Formats: sequence, C-alpha cells, structure tokens
Amino acid sequence: MSSWLFAQYPEAPALADVLPPRKARGKVAMFIHRYPTIVIGGVLLALVLGMAIFAPFLWTVDPTALAPAKRTRPPSELYWFGTDMLGRDIYSRVIFGTRVSLMVGFAVAALSSVVGLFIGLCAGFIRWLDTVVMRVMDGLMSIPSILLAIAFMALLGASVQNVVIAISIAEIPRVARLVRGVVLSLREQAYVEAAIASGTRVPLIIWRHILPNTLAPMIVQATFICASAMLAEATLSFIGAGTPPTIPSWGNIMAEGRALWQVKPFIVFFPAVFLSLTVLAVNLLGDGLRDALDPRLAKRI
Amino acid sequence: MFAYILRRVAATIPVMAVVALFVFSLLYIAPGDPAAIIAGDQASPADIERIRISLGLDRPFLVRFGSWVWDVLNGDLGTSIFTNLPVTHMIAQRIQPTLSLMAITLAISLTIAIPLGVVAAWKQGTMIDRVAMVFSTLGFSVPVFVVGYVLAYVFALSLDWVPVQGYTPIEQGVVPWFLNLILPSIALGLIYMALIARITRATMLEVLSQDYVRTARAKGAGQRAILFVHALKNAAVPIVTIVGIGFASLIGGAVVTESVFAIPGLGRLTVDAILRRDYPVIQGVVLMFSFVYVLVNLAVDLLYTLFDPRIRY
Repeated sequence: MSSWLFAQYPEAPALADVLPPRKARGKVAMFIHRYPTIVIGGVLLALVLGMAIFAPFLWTVDPTALAPAKRTRPPSELYWFGTDMLGRDIYSRVIFGTRVSLMVGFAVAALSSVVGLFIGLCAGFIRWLDTVVMRVMDGLMSIPSILLAIAFMALLGASVQNVVIAISIAEIPRVARLVRGVVLSLREQAYVEAAIASGTRVPLIIWRHILPNTLAPMIVQATFICASAMLAEATLSFIGAGTPPTIPSWGNIMAEGRALWQVKPFIVFFPAVFLSLTVLAVNLLGDGLRDALDPRLAKRI
Repeated sequence: MFAYILRRVAATIPVMAVVALFVFSLLYIAPGDPAAIIAGDQASPADIERIRISLGLDRPFLVRFGSWVWDVLNGDLGTSIFTNLPVTHMIAQRIQPTLSLMAITLAISLTIAIPLGVVAAWKQGTMIDRVAMVFSTLGFSVPVFVVGYVLAYVFALSLDWVPVQGYTPIEQGVVPWFLNLILPSIALGLIYMALIARITRATMLEVLSQDYVRTARAKGAGQRAILFVHALKNAAVPIVTIVGIGFASLIGGAVVTESVFAIPGLGRLTVDAILRRDYPVIQGVVLMFSFVYVLVNLAVDLLYTLFDPRIRY
C-alpha cells in the first residue's frame, strides 16, 4: 500500500516483544472464577449437610431434654444459643433441626421431579390426555401453594412425611409444565422425527432423546423447588400446620419462640439465620447451575 | 376485542371447576362425621342417620358436589364447626385488614421494584445493578416471618417509630391504619419485590438492545424518556405477568405476616381454623383466595391488550 498516506504521522511506539503473561489458572481456580455462585452455594450447602449428618458429634446435647429450672437463658458459654421456655438447648435444637429442613427440601425436590416428569411426559406424548391433565395442573396451580399445603396438612395431620407430600403436590404442576413444554418443542426436532420414522418405540425415544434434554432444566428447577420447600416447611411449622412439635425443626423452634420474641428475640433469631443461609445457599447453587447449564438463559433472568 | 375478553373469561371456568372440585374433596374426605358432630354426644345411631339424611350426606359424591357448587354460587360457603357462624360472615368480618395489607404491599412493591429493575438494567454491571440483584436474591431466601420480626424489632421495639403489632381499622383514621400496616407490608412485599425487580431488569435488558431504542437515542430522546416511555412500555407484558403470578406469594405470605403482626385478618382466621380443625372455614378461605388469584390473573391477561394491542388470541 502507499506508505505516503501515513507519512505525516509519528511512528507508533513499538509493541513489546512479549505480552505480559496471562495469569495462569488451574482447573479449580478457573471453575471458581467462572461460576462463583455455584462454589459459594455448594460450599455453604456442604457445610449445612455436614451439620445435619454429624449433628450428634457437634457438641450437642439431647435436643428434647427438658430443664425447667433453666428456662429462656440467654446465649452463654454453656448454652451457645441460649435455652427455650422449656429449658431445652437451642444450639442442639438448631443443629438437629438442619436434618428436618434438608430432608424435606431434598425429598420434595425428588418426589415432585419424578412425579412431575412422569405427568409431563404423559401429557407431552399422549395427545388426548394433554388437555385434561394440563387443565387439572392449571387448577392446582391457581391455588396458592402455601394454602394448598395448609389444606392438605389440616387433612392429613402433622408428620414430616405429610409435609413432604403436601408441599410436593403444590410443586408437581410446575415440573409437569416444564417437562411438557420441553417435550412439545423436542417432538418437532428433526432427530426425533427421524427416530419416529425409523420405527423407534416411544419408551426408547423418551430414554434416548427426551430425557437427556429435560435433565438440565429439571436440575435447575429441582434446586429452586428444594429452596422453596425448605421455606414452606418452616412456614407450615411456624403456623402450626407442619412438622409435629415434638421434632426439633427450624420452623418449630421459631413457632415456640413466637410468644416471647419481644423479650427473648434470640430464640427466633438463631433458627432464622440458619434457615435463611441454607435457602440462600440452595438459591445461589440454582442460579449458578442455570447459568452453567443453559448459557442462553443466563442473560435473561 | 370483546371476543377476546369473552374467550379469556370462559377459559377460567375449567380452572375454577378444578379448584372447586379439589376444595370440595377436602371437606368430603375430612375426618369427622358432620352429622355426628351436629347430633351431639347423646344421639343414638338412628338419630345420626336421620340427620345425615336430612343434611343430604347420604347422597353420592357428584350429587353432593353439585348441590355444594349451587350453594357456593348462591353465596353460601357452609357453617363453621367451631363458631356455628356462616363462613361467608366470618370471611366478611376479617376481610378488611387483609385487603388493606395487600393493597399497601402491592403499592409499595410496585413503586420500589419496577424503578429498581429499570435502573439495574440501565446501569447493567455496575455497583447499583449488583446491589439490586443481591437484594433480590436475599429477598428470595429470607422467609417472610423472619423479615417481619427483624423489621418489628428494629423499627417498632428499638426505634419506636411505629406500633409493634395489631391493626387499626381505616375508619379510625388513615394515619394510624397506615402506620400499623407499613412494617407488615414491607415484610410481605420483599419476596414480591425481588421477583418483580428481577423480571423487570431481565426484560428491560432485552428491550434496551432493540433497534427502536437505538433510534430513540439517535433522534435525541432523553434518557428518562427512553427508559420509561420507549422501553418500559414494551417491557410491560412480562412484568405484568409476574405481578399476577407473584400474587400467590402475597396470599400465602399474608397468612404468616398476619400471625407475626397480630393482624386480625383472613390469615389469622386460617391459622385459627387449622388449629381447631374447622374444615368448612379452611375450605371457604382456600376457595376464596384461589378465586381472587384466578381473577387477578384474568385481569392481567386483559391488561395485555392495553400494553400490546397486537395481542389477540
């Protein structure tokens, strides 16, 4: 090219021979850098899980042991989180309460995913069933989920198992909708049509083509269901329609501290902090998984 | 337009039917024989049987469902087992505090969450955006009653700015009414705000990258005009949708918030009814709230046509 064009400009400073080396990151550091929320949420959740599993070894005492002489003691060296109005050690109750929360969270996530997946697949593949099933799901979804759970709990009576069932029923329609949506969009895909054309049976199509594609959105959905189930369990227990009062759960500890919250706020405070942190951990994990598993969605929500 | 409204209204009928069937089954399979309860302890089995027939409890499920639906359509939700008052009467007594709570919550949530989402989208990636999104993640994670207790402890007990608990009817003055409801409304609205702010931000981000926004910039429209006239109006449909869907969290949260702040509304009524196993009341409240929820979402669907005249189903 004609160099005279540029002649009037001073020469640009020469580029350094070697660019400063890019900071090399190991695989682990790279992962932390790319998905900080997965790491933070995962670590927090692992801690909570450890607390639930090793509850008896974490310097706890019997969470149901009464000590009427030592009622509503404030936090001290002996009673780290104080004692409640029956003299029970709140620290031990909170640590053991982790078990109920996690159990309910995971059980609801698993149960509603499995049932929702089944219903969604049926609705997506069986034409005549679709309208009926989806109308029923719409109906269930138009009952606010806490009220639906309250109604079931009033009917079934208090137990952890019933809490899981009651919350799952409210969550199943959401999973079913998600799965049905995926199925309907996948059915139009060329590779599914090719499989149908070549005579593949429906169960095999589901196993080979549909399930792998529902997995990612379902994992994300399951994390959020887990978080909202833990909140729902605490809410139900708090209003007296959840876990039976004999079992220490975060909701129950708060429900018992309710009458005294103006004078002894620590009774409500400690389980509240644990509950909020645990739910936050699961939500962060869910956010991170959504970004990691579906980059197209990451920008949107 | 008219046909669209008609079709949309008609579409809520099957949904309401499913809700009604579910709510009715709740009472149908509830433990405890209403005839035995009414007859009392001294009644013989023959007496109970007579009462059962006179109440029509011996009829098949679908017949009873039909007559129950007829009663509901005529404004009869049955009688409370505990107080012997009509359920509609009990609901009417308690509805004002709950309506007030929801109205204030809705107002506060919308005025905070939508501008917050807009600003977060506008200043995407900056500190404001990050803080807003952290706030919204927290809003999802902290239960309503915990927020309620913290707010009440700080602003009512420690600072003594507002009353701690209770409710003042609006007839006794708007200011005390509002002061009593401000903390519960913020507590109840937090998760709602988080939801709305997130969706607003996400939709605004999408809209702000559209060509017509660039055109508006090019013709010299002010930043505020671009954000609130050009962008927000086009982002309205998803935002209004989430306002409608999120209304369920307001209803569920109201039950808990009213317990925390000792507000004598429908939530308290529900909690009391659970403790007393007063099934007709539980049934009535669930039915009413679900009906409200369906109506709110119907209203949202009709609003679509206002924001986006292209929508014609």
